[in-house]
Amino acid sequence: MASASATYEIKSEHGEVINTSTGLSNKKLLMWAFLGSDVMFFGSFIATFLVYRNRSLVGPYPADILDIPITSVSTFVLLMSSLAMVLALSYVQEGRKKLGTLWIFAVVVLGAIFLLFQVYEFNHFAKVGLTPRTNLFGTTFFILTGLHGAHVTLGVLWLMFLGFGSIKGTLRADNAIDLELAGLYWHFVDIVWIVIFTVIYLISARDVAPPGSVPWVPGAH
Amino acid sequence: MSNFLNKILYHDGRGWWDLPRTQWQEPNPKMEGPLGDGIAPIKRIWEITTAANLHHGTPAFYVLIGAILSIITIVEVWAFAWLFLGDLLVPLMLVLSLGKFVLVVGFFMHLKFDRKYYAWIFTACMVIGIGIFVALLLLLNYGGQVQQ
Amino acid sequence: MQTTHPGVGSEPISMRFPRIFPRPKSDYGIWSWISTVDHKRIGTLYAVTSFLWFLVGGIEALIMRLQLSQADNTLVDPELFNQLFTMHGTTMVFLVVMPLSAAFFNWLVPLQIGARDVAFPRLNALSYWIFLFGSLFLNFSWFVGDAPNGGWFGYAPNSHLAFNPTHGMTYWVIGLNILGIASIAAGLNFIVTILNMRAPGMTLTKMPVFTWMTFVTSVLIVLALPVLTVALIQLQVDRLYGTHFYNTAAGGDPVLWQHVFWLFGHPEVYILILPAMGIVSEILPVFSRKPLFGYTFLVFAGVAIGFMGWFVWSHHMFTVGLGPAANSAFAISTMAIAIPTGVKIFNWIGTMWGGSVRFSTAMLFAISFIAMFTIGGLSGVMHASVPTDAQQQDTYFVVAHFHYVLFGGAIMAIFGGIYFWWPKATGYMLSEGWGKANWLLMLIGFNLQFAPQHWLGLDGMPRRVFTYAENMGWENTNMYASAGGFLMAFGVLLFLINVFYSARKRVPAGDDPWDGRTLEWSIASPPPHYNFEKIPNVEHRDDWWFTKHPELIAEYYHDEHEGELRAPSGAQFDDDVEDEHHDEHTSDHHGDDDHGHGIHLPDMSYYPFILALGLTIVGAGLMTIIPVIIIGVVILLWGLIGWSMEPVNDPVPEGASHGH
Repeated sequence: MASASATYEIKSEHGEVINTSTGLSNKKLLMWAFLGSDVMFFGSFIATFLVYRNRSLVGPYPADILDIPITSVSTFVLLMSSLAMVLALSYVQEGRKKLGTLWIFAVVVLGAIFLLFQVYEFNHFAKVGLTPRTNLFGTTFFILTGLHGAHVTLGVLWLMFLGFGSIKGTLRADNAIDLELAGLYWHFVDIVWIVIFTVIYLISARDVAPPGSVPWVPGAH
Repeated sequence: MSNFLNKILYHDGRGWWDLPRTQWQEPNPKMEGPLGDGIAPIKRIWEITTAANLHHGTPAFYVLIGAILSIITIVEVWAFAWLFLGDLLVPLMLVLSLGKFVLVVGFFMHLKFDRKYYAWIFTACMVIGIGIFVALLLLLNYGGQVQQ
Repeated sequence: MQTTHPGVGSEPISMRFPRIFPRPKSDYGIWSWISTVDHKRIGTLYAVTSFLWFLVGGIEALIMRLQLSQADNTLVDPELFNQLFTMHGTTMVFLVVMPLSAAFFNWLVPLQIGARDVAFPRLNALSYWIFLFGSLFLNFSWFVGDAPNGGWFGYAPNSHLAFNPTHGMTYWVIGLNILGIASIAAGLNFIVTILNMRAPGMTLTKMPVFTWMTFVTSVLIVLALPVLTVALIQLQVDRLYGTHFYNTAAGGDPVLWQHVFWLFGHPEVYILILPAMGIVSEILPVFSRKPLFGYTFLVFAGVAIGFMGWFVWSHHMFTVGLGPAANSAFAISTMAIAIPTGVKIFNWIGTMWGGSVRFSTAMLFAISFIAMFTIGGLSGVMHASVPTDAQQQDTYFVVAHFHYVLFGGAIMAIFGGIYFWWPKATGYMLSEGWGKANWLLMLIGFNLQFAPQHWLGLDGMPRRVFTYAENMGWENTNMYASAGGFLMAFGVLLFLINVFYSARKRVPAGDDPWDGRTLEWSIASPPPHYNFEKIPNVEHRDDWWFTKHPELIAEYYHDEHEGELRAPSGAQFDDDVEDEHHDEHTSDHHGDDDHGHGIHLPDMSYYPFILALGLTIVGAGLMTIIPVIIIGVVILLWGLIGWSMEPVNDPVPEGASHGH
């Protein structure tokens, strides 16, 4: 067992020293493994939603209440925030501070708009008569989208933190990996929403009262 | 005829569609397909936009991906609202959102440009996740138990 | 384009965040333990804590055995019995076997792969503190008289508010969620550590088997624990906020909980046993003085178990009525998973075959692991058959089965591991005499307790029932079992005596008392802070052994050598092109190494402790009132922001030596 005369030291193209057996950044590997873990988290909730699809005993049912146009807009907002995120990362990696900061805060703003849409939607549903305690659809819908919203909130806070770092000059090209991690997290939240939008809205939005349960009459609860 | 087919399909034993997996692998054989060198400029643009500095695309490329994502979303909503597809709705929506998923994961999350390890990790998790949750849905919805 | 700042590199940028306490520097005192980020100290903390919980869980078991020793006994009432078996199971699974394995991960993985610490030392500390607070939270329920009482798998709707209105299961749900965060953080940390922190030359196929099993276990933890988290969140919102996930009155499906729980629960079984298999795979070759037989097969069997473990969960639910197709599919997959397990058993036997075996205490524990685990495995295969399982479901046969795998398997291996690595961790030997007495009593007591339970189960005695009638004919067998339980407890007592006795005797162990094979034996005992003065360059599997016995290399490696020569460490998964990329940079920086002189280890930090405290207070707040949640969130944010602004190493003042 000879002692090593050299450690392998690899610099990424952004100057970060990567001194690992695989040549991969520790932080980035951690983030990807965490995202794999989060896949199982959201996967379980989405599976629960699908298991309970068409099993509610009382209304309102998805067809009575889901509003596709509004959610399409919020979906679009989240997609665009992902675009802003990737641009922010690209500029920060190039060391263009002003553009980078601008796009980071664009992500923050778009994420906040998405959250406002969600708050509006939750309020609206509660007024119309769907809460987590109403029926199985309400339970699965609110908890799944609510936890996604919690992820978005966390991402917004994280990116605000990094945005201020960028203004102060502590987030620079040489530690853009910090922004890259936040970006990975943000895009992941976005793809989870892509799946949620498809599963809850596009696929289930026409579900009416299943056989054996009572059709829903607005205002009758 | 066989010569013609050969000319279309192969170049030194490789199909002309066999694009390199990564930018820094050996370059493609010179185009001798049906379009000859005709698609070379397109390919050149593709290379410039996707792999400006090997590790990520240019802003213009990301905007292009963003536009594609928006278009797919619009198509989804349009198909949902006006097409009344019946049984086709679910598979169509799944395919379209799979497309969006792949675009975001591949380009926005840089899996296409990055080291293969990350793609391995994420794919493995996705495979296990999708595998068990599909099995779970099958068991709960089509199992022998009496539904309420 | 702005270029990188010269001299900054990847050094984290220090931002000023007001520190309430000064950053600890001392190596002594309680504060040094609270703020430690050293993987060895964290491993010790894990070991001590979970051993204390082992005693607690054991006492719970003894009370149950006392209750069951006679028919119609009235020592405990049914409610207390429910709490006892629930907490015994939960404690032993989540507070004993998992964290005891984590103690081994922490102690050994960096030593075995030739690293100075894990990839994220502060995250590692966070895992421990969350585990400690979560376990205290869970057991706090005893003091309010409301311990969890729904079984360690907490079947909903039985654990639902409608049927279980006391607070016990709420403690269970929140406590396990807190513990789950600790496990996931530790799992992520070890995945990155094992992939990224290996010494030069240590390719994946040269890693010690224990490290391999740690890797597989970590992957399972990272993927399986989120599923449990989801199930617990669902039950939690049901219990606290009146949602309907498991409310049958609103159409909730009682089978869903079983599915989601066992989706987690079956990989969990392998999370418990794979580290034990890794430990045994380290002990056997050392005391047989032979390399492990069929290393590659053993590793791939471990990976195969880890993968197939995902697709067998419904064998816990054969009596639910999933239908013949589902039952057959899961019966087949369950029987199939016995194949890689069998491969391992034959590999271990093959390792001993023809070796010059030394029967030290560690070796005796390892051999009894093989025997006990085989018995437990065989009764497990019996359960894979659906009609047989219908007969055995919820009887003591099942209890006997999983205790043979988890006590006879996991705990035996862990005790073997303790005897094996104790000299490395402390620098002195455990007494072999006391150790053998400990082993003998535990083995006899264990078999006396659990072998009769096979018969009890086949005779129809149900589990989780607080007593049985006199005319059932189960008194004698239960009496033997209870006697066995106390014999086992006496064995554990001997272990404690051994620990204190050996600590007073302090027979120095030397660096390599067993003629070890892996890298941890190449350094001092106990290892210095920085583990390796020079990061070793690994050329072979069992590198340290072949360094000591170079003449044996040709004998053992003649046929495998070609395959082993592919050079860049850890790169065998990469594309060829990227390997070149790799090499190029390696040679660029040839000779830059200064690890021999200025070894930089991460400084201590109290933020993990604070973060874990805040998290637990949030959990407590969920059960009580909102102001508590707010206090918890404030502490959590303090920990989080302080952590993210704290550099791993404070800048060293000019001229000062960064010392140990």
